[in-house]
Amino acid sequence: MTTTIRPPASGTPTPQRRSAASEPLTFRQRLSRFDVKASPYFYVSPFFILFALVGLFPLGYTLVVSMHEWDLLKGQGPFVGFENFVEILGDSMFWNSIGNTISIFLLSSIPQLAIALIVAYLLDQGLRAPTFWRMSVLLPYIVTPVAVAIIFSSAFNEADGLVNNILNVFGIPDQAWKHDTFLSHIAIATMVNFRWTGYNALILLAAMQSVPRDLYESAAIDGAGAVRRFFSITIPSIRPTLIFVIITATIGGLQIFTEPRLFDVSTAGGIGGSDRQFQTTVLFMWELAFFRRDFGEAAAVAWLLFLLIVGFGLINFLISRRIATGGDKPDRRARRARERATRGGAA
Amino acid sequence: MKLSRHTKVAAAVAGAATIALLASACSSGGGEETDGDITLTVTTFGTFGYDDLYTEYEEANPGVTIEATNIDTGGNARTDAFTKLAAGSGLSDVVAIEEGWLGAIMEVSDQFVDLTEYGIDDRKADWVDWKYEQATDPEGRVIGYGTDIGPSGICYNGPALEAAGLASDRESVAELLNGDWAHYFDVGRQYQQATGKAWFDHSGFVWNSMVNQMPEGYYTSDGELNVEDNADLKANFDLLSGAVDDGLSAAQAAWDWNGGKSFVDGTFATFVCPGWMLGVVEGQVETGGGDASTGWDFADVFPGGAANWGGAFLSVPETSEHKEAAAKLADWLTQPEQQVKQSAAAGNFPSTIEAQETLASEATPNEFFNGAPTGAILAARAEGVVAQFKGPDDSVIQENVFGPALSALDRGEVDGTAAWDQAIELLHELVGE
Repeated sequence: MTTTIRPPASGTPTPQRRSAASEPLTFRQRLSRFDVKASPYFYVSPFFILFALVGLFPLGYTLVVSMHEWDLLKGQGPFVGFENFVEILGDSMFWNSIGNTISIFLLSSIPQLAIALIVAYLLDQGLRAPTFWRMSVLLPYIVTPVAVAIIFSSAFNEADGLVNNILNVFGIPDQAWKHDTFLSHIAIATMVNFRWTGYNALILLAAMQSVPRDLYESAAIDGAGAVRRFFSITIPSIRPTLIFVIITATIGGLQIFTEPRLFDVSTAGGIGGSDRQFQTTVLFMWELAFFRRDFGEAAAVAWLLFLLIVGFGLINFLISRRIATGGDKPDRRARRARERATRGGAA
Repeated sequence: MKLSRHTKVAAAVAGAATIALLASACSSGGGEETDGDITLTVTTFGTFGYDDLYTEYEEANPGVTIEATNIDTGGNARTDAFTKLAAGSGLSDVVAIEEGWLGAIMEVSDQFVDLTEYGIDDRKADWVDWKYEQATDPEGRVIGYGTDIGPSGICYNGPALEAAGLASDRESVAELLNGDWAHYFDVGRQYQQATGKAWFDHSGFVWNSMVNQMPEGYYTSDGELNVEDNADLKANFDLLSGAVDDGLSAAQAAWDWNGGKSFVDGTFATFVCPGWMLGVVEGQVETGGGDASTGWDFADVFPGGAANWGGAFLSVPETSEHKEAAAKLADWLTQPEQQVKQSAAAGNFPSTIEAQETLASEATPNEFFNGAPTGAILAARAEGVVAQFKGPDDSVIQENVFGPALSALDRGEVDGTAAWDQAIELLHELVGE
C-alpha cells in the first residue's frame, strides 16, 4: 500500500515546503495519514474480531457457567462459586481421565515427532519425484478423524481384528485392545500418529529446506557424519519450527476426543471403554455435559483442561528450547562451521 | 500492490461484510420458503422404516418437502437432541424421542409443543393407554405422538439349539422357555453344557429386559431413586450374575458384536428381542455376512412374562417454525394405517391398537426370521405390558452405572457381589444420593 503526496505544483520549493509544514493539514492529508497509521490494524482486525467472538467470549462464558449449577436442559441454576471445581478436583474419574490423556499424549507425541523428523530428513535427501513422496506422507491427514477411528477400531477388534490376526500369525495370542488400559492407549495413539505424522513431517521438511546447503557441505568436508550433521546442524537450524510443531502437537494431544469416543461403539455414555480405560479428559467433559447433563461441572473441566494445556505448552516450550539448543556445544560448533563456511566462501 | 482508492473502499466494505456474514452465519435459520411451500425436517434413529412414508406424504401434500435424518442408535440420537435443546436451536421440526430418555425430556417438556393444541386428545383412544400417558407431563400437556412400543420376545438361532439337542421349532421353543428368568437361565445351562457355548450375547441387554419388566425400575412410580435398597432389583442381579458365572454370557460388545459375525458363527444362541430389535438383528446378521439361512427365528415367549423395552415418540419442538405442519405430519405418520406400513418396513411394533390388531390378524410371515409371523407374535407379547415410570437419570443408570459393572462381570473380572458394589459406587458418584 502506498500513499502518494502530490508534488508541489509550481514556485520555489523551499518556502512553500516550510509553509506547508506550519500550515494545518488538509482533510485529504489527514485522511491519508490516518490511512497509513490505522489501515494495518484494520486489515488484521477480522482475525481478532472473529477470535473475540468464537474464542474469547466462549472462554469467559464457560467461566460463568462453571461457577453455577447448570443443567444441560434446564439451564442456569444458582451461583455456587468454585464448588464445581472442588467437586471435579476431588473426583477420581477426572484424575483417571487426566492420567489417560497424558499417557495417550506421550505415546502419540513422542514417536510421532521422532518419526516425523526422520521422514522429513529422508524427504530432504533429494529423492526422485519429490512431490509424489511428499503427497504420500500427507495423505493420511486428509482422512477425517472419524473415518480413521472407525477403520482402526475395526482393525483393533479383539475377536477378529486385523491386528490380532497378524499377531496370531506370529504365534502371539489375541490381545485385549479395547479392555486393557495400556494396550487401548497404544491403539488410540496409533490412530493419532497415523493422521499427524505426515503433516508434521511436511512442516519440518519445509524448515529443513531453508537450511543453507553450504553448512552441510562444509561440515561434511570437516568430517562430520550424517548423524552428526543431523544433530548439529539440522536440529538447531529448524528450532523455531520444531517448537511450533511440539506445541501444536501438545495442544492436539491433550484434546483427543474423536478417537476414544469412537473406539468403543457400545458405550453410548461416552465413558471410553467398559471401565473408563481410555476416557480422555475431553471425553470425560463430554460425558459430564451431554450424558450426565451437568454443564456446570463440565465447564469446570474445560477450564482445568485449558490451564493444563497452557502449563504443558510452557513446559514444552522450555524443554524444547533446551533440547534444540542442546546446551552450548552444538550451537558453538554450528556457528564455527558457519564461520568456516563463510571464510571458505570468501577465500 | 497498488490499489486505487475505489478498490480500497470496496475492499473495506467487502471485508466488513465478510465479518458481518461470518458473525451472523450461526444465527440465520431456515424458513425462507414462499408460496406456501415448506420444508419439514425430521430426525429419527435406529431402524425407523419411514422412508417410503415420507414419499407418500410428499405426494399427498404438494408443497411439503421432507428432509429426513436418521441417526444410527438411540444413544446418539439422545446426544443430538440434548445438545440442540441446550443450544436452543437446531432441532428438527419433528424429533423422535426414545422412551429411555423421555424422563429427562419431561423435565423440560415446555420446550415441546403441547400437541393437544393440534387435536391429539381426539386420538387418545387410538393408542394403548400407557403409551399416551407416558407422553403426558404433570401439567397435562401431551408432547409426543407414540410411534412404536417394545414388547419383547426371544430371538433364537434354530441350528444352534438343534446342535444342543433342543427343540428348534417356534412352538416348542416357546414352550421350552416358558417360565421365569431362572428357568430361562436353567435351559441356558443345559445348552451350555451340551455345546460349551454361550446362551445370550451379553448381560447388559438381559439386564435391561429384566429391569424394564419390573413394575418399578430404577425409580419408584413417585419419581424417587430406588436402586441401592431395592431387594427385587438385587434379586434379579444375583440371578443374572449366577448365570454369567456358569458361562451363559458371550461377553459381547453391544452394537458391535464383532462386526455382526457373532450373530452368524453361533457365538450365542438366544437374544432378547423387543420389536425394534428385529431390525437390528437382521442388520447385524447381514453385516456379519449371514442371511435368512443363518437360522434366526422369533419365539412367542419371554422369561418372566410380558415386558416392554423402548419405543419412541414423535415430538414437535417449540423452536420449529412450522409447528402446525410438523404436528400434522407427525400425526399422519403415527396413524394406524401408517404404523402398519412402518412395521412392515422396520419390523418394529406399532403403539396404536388398530395397527396391532391388523398385524395380529394378517400374521405376515417374516422371511428373514424363518417365516415367523413377527407382527402377530409381538401382538401376543404386548398383552399385559405395564408401563414403567422412567426417571430423569434412567439412561445414565442403564449405560454408565450398570454398563461398566455388567461388562466387568461378563469378562469375569469381578464376581456378582463385587459387580453390584461397583454399580452402587458408580451410582453414588454419577447420580448422587
